[in-house]
Amino acid sequence: MERREFIGLAAAGLGAMTLGMRGCGSPQAVAPSDWVHLGIIGVGGRGQHLMRMMLRVPGVRIAGLCDVYEPRIAEGRKVTGEQTPAYSDYRKLLEARDIDAVMVATPLSLHAEHVIAALDSGRAVYGEKSMGRTLDDCNRIRDAVRRTGKILQVGLQYTYAPWYTEALKRIQAGSIGQVTQAYSYWHRNNNWRRPLPPGAGVEIERLLNWRLYREWSGGLLAELGSHQISFANTLFGAMPDSAMASGGVDYWKDGREIEDNVHAILRYPGGQTLQASFITTNRLDGAQERIFGTGGSIVLTHTEAIYYHEPWYPNSAVPPEMTIVHKLITGPTYSAEQPYTGKGEMPLKGEASDADLMACQEFVDCIRAHRRPVADVDLGWSEAVTVALCNRALETGRNIKLSDFLAGTA
Amino acid sequence: MRLEDLAAEANPARKEHPRELFRAHSCPAMGTLFTVYLHDLGEARELAVFQAVFDEIERVEKTFSRFLPSSEIARINREAGQGPVVTDPEVFHLLEYAKELSGKTEGAFDITVGRLTRAWGFAERKRDLPSSDALEAAEAAVGWRHLQLDAQWRTVEFLKPGMELDLGAIAKGYAVDCALDLLRSLAVQAMIDAGSSSIAANGDFFSRAWPVCVADPASGDEPLCEVLLGDRALSTSGVKEQSFTREGRVYSHLLDPAPHQREQDSHSLQVLQTTVLAPDSRLADGLSTALFLLGPRRGEAVMERFPECSAFWACRGDKGDFCASIRWPQTKQSTR
Repeated sequence: MERREFIGLAAAGLGAMTLGMRGCGSPQAVAPSDWVHLGIIGVGGRGQHLMRMMLRVPGVRIAGLCDVYEPRIAEGRKVTGEQTPAYSDYRKLLEARDIDAVMVATPLSLHAEHVIAALDSGRAVYGEKSMGRTLDDCNRIRDAVRRTGKILQVGLQYTYAPWYTEALKRIQAGSIGQVTQAYSYWHRNNNWRRPLPPGAGVEIERLLNWRLYREWSGGLLAELGSHQISFANTLFGAMPDSAMASGGVDYWKDGREIEDNVHAILRYPGGQTLQASFITTNRLDGAQERIFGTGGSIVLTHTEAIYYHEPWYPNSAVPPEMTIVHKLITGPTYSAEQPYTGKGEMPLKGEASDADLMACQEFVDCIRAHRRPVADVDLGWSEAVTVALCNRALETGRNIKLSDFLAGTA
Repeated sequence: MRLEDLAAEANPARKEHPRELFRAHSCPAMGTLFTVYLHDLGEARELAVFQAVFDEIERVEKTFSRFLPSSEIARINREAGQGPVVTDPEVFHLLEYAKELSGKTEGAFDITVGRLTRAWGFAERKRDLPSSDALEAAEAAVGWRHLQLDAQWRTVEFLKPGMELDLGAIAKGYAVDCALDLLRSLAVQAMIDAGSSSIAANGDFFSRAWPVCVADPASGDEPLCEVLLGDRALSTSGVKEQSFTREGRVYSHLLDPAPHQREQDSHSLQVLQTTVLAPDSRLADGLSTALFLLGPRRGEAVMERFPECSAFWACRGDKGDFCASIRWPQTKQSTR
């Protein structure tokens, strides 16, 4: 099956699935054979957050923790509330017989090594996004899934958020007309650094702040943008034909290697465009996606979706039927195209569930039902390869065609 | 020894260069403003520390807020009336802790007041008496004994229909505890002030050198007393910020979970404010709410169960305003 067919299937699946929490359930009702014993590779901030989510799913136990940074083990055990077996070498964790599935939340450049090893050990894997750092990483992970037949769910949790799936459904039904543009922002105002314990040397600094160094990180595009890029791929039903990007270390000149601001433009085969902006010096716009159609717009955030229907007269103070024209007067062009400031519609207000929790529940359900997750290896492949394409454009300062990138000639 | 002398002894440099020795940043969270004071770290490190602390406070809010639909407490409120809900160990342990505190405070502290707080609507800035029907329905859905916690399976279940959790009386203190744990792990001297009602510190620079003034709820002028935190956390509960008066009676956001079942201290006694010093912020926070509702006389019996804590009440009675305290440190106090 070809790449675009998979994306189409993912989009169709999202439209058709009724995703939501399966209601409350007692772990007592979970058959012993359905319990999922998880091993965690990477017990940093993100790993700990996902562990909490997994522990809210009935019938899940965390049976092993692995991290090369020893203090993380104590933090992880605090999360599990027990003396969970600990490992500093992931291969030892994978040798443990009581582990059914593995979660990988390590630095990006290690995803491929850890995910492939876990798949090869016969386990289902929840792998944090971005799926892989390079095209080669992504291809090897996809090959491993095909070779082993095991489940890989990529940590693109907004794939499961009801307000996102509802937006896709409405867009597919034409509720905002033809979608031609999407703008995504992930704007924050901090230096993106982790504080160091006393006495930490260069090695620990690079380990804890791996996101700031090229050896480990895909930068803002991977760490923040992958959710939005994945959504755009699903929205437009394809990967982009080409991408251009710009950015630099322009404010936080503190020794980091990855850019503190990145701006990318992705052109899709259907004539649509995604403009994506990631900055670390202002958070007015926060994290949001603005989907623009000929008949309206949708603003998606991490907790809600707001719908705007395109008015013929934006912000008109006088209803059209009350306007009486006596004569026309010519003069300089007046400023008519003010931003729309009317209220939007929030059909799912107050119903937002935690997207991470929904993704974790879905992973466990997929293991029990031997079902392929929606955020599967193909969705992850398209997301991660698009991110790598954008990063290539950023590195070279050129407009990179996807075909050239896939052929290794870009 | 005078308080000023104690402070000067703990940190002689404080008086000479106070502004050069600490930096403060504030961040809105949990319906109030959290301010974090850090002992001088150097700009590069302090930015990362401030960010990590505020991230941790935000994490706690996103977990325990009843207002955020995606929080774990909101999920439990939606689902635990239909059957047991599994939650993670952190949430489960705080619920267990809260239930235990309910037992030790004769139910004055009670996190099952969710329906009641919603009926009154103080958080939404409502300042009206709810209808008697609404109040009756809300009170019927309250009762910490009907919060079933199963430690073996880590499940939460509501045994009363319509029950809802509201951790407003403990979550802020818990956030301060979590933030201080983080600061301790980084060996950073710091003080955290959550909306001036929950205050705790790590390290001598703040805990033994910065007096905390307990404001006078009646006049707002001279503080009632000053304390040094030492190793303890402080919490104040009072009517000043969220209350209204109808027909001479003051109604505040500190709601009695069982208003018709409790013997009042005295019909003419009104507690204006309670301040507690406790080994950690979650206990200080929860206990200050309970002691506010219990008043000094019945609070005295409850305080016997908390020998490590101190309490200070500001009250209004027939003969004027007065203060009462239990095991309160000998510090500078007003003449009131």
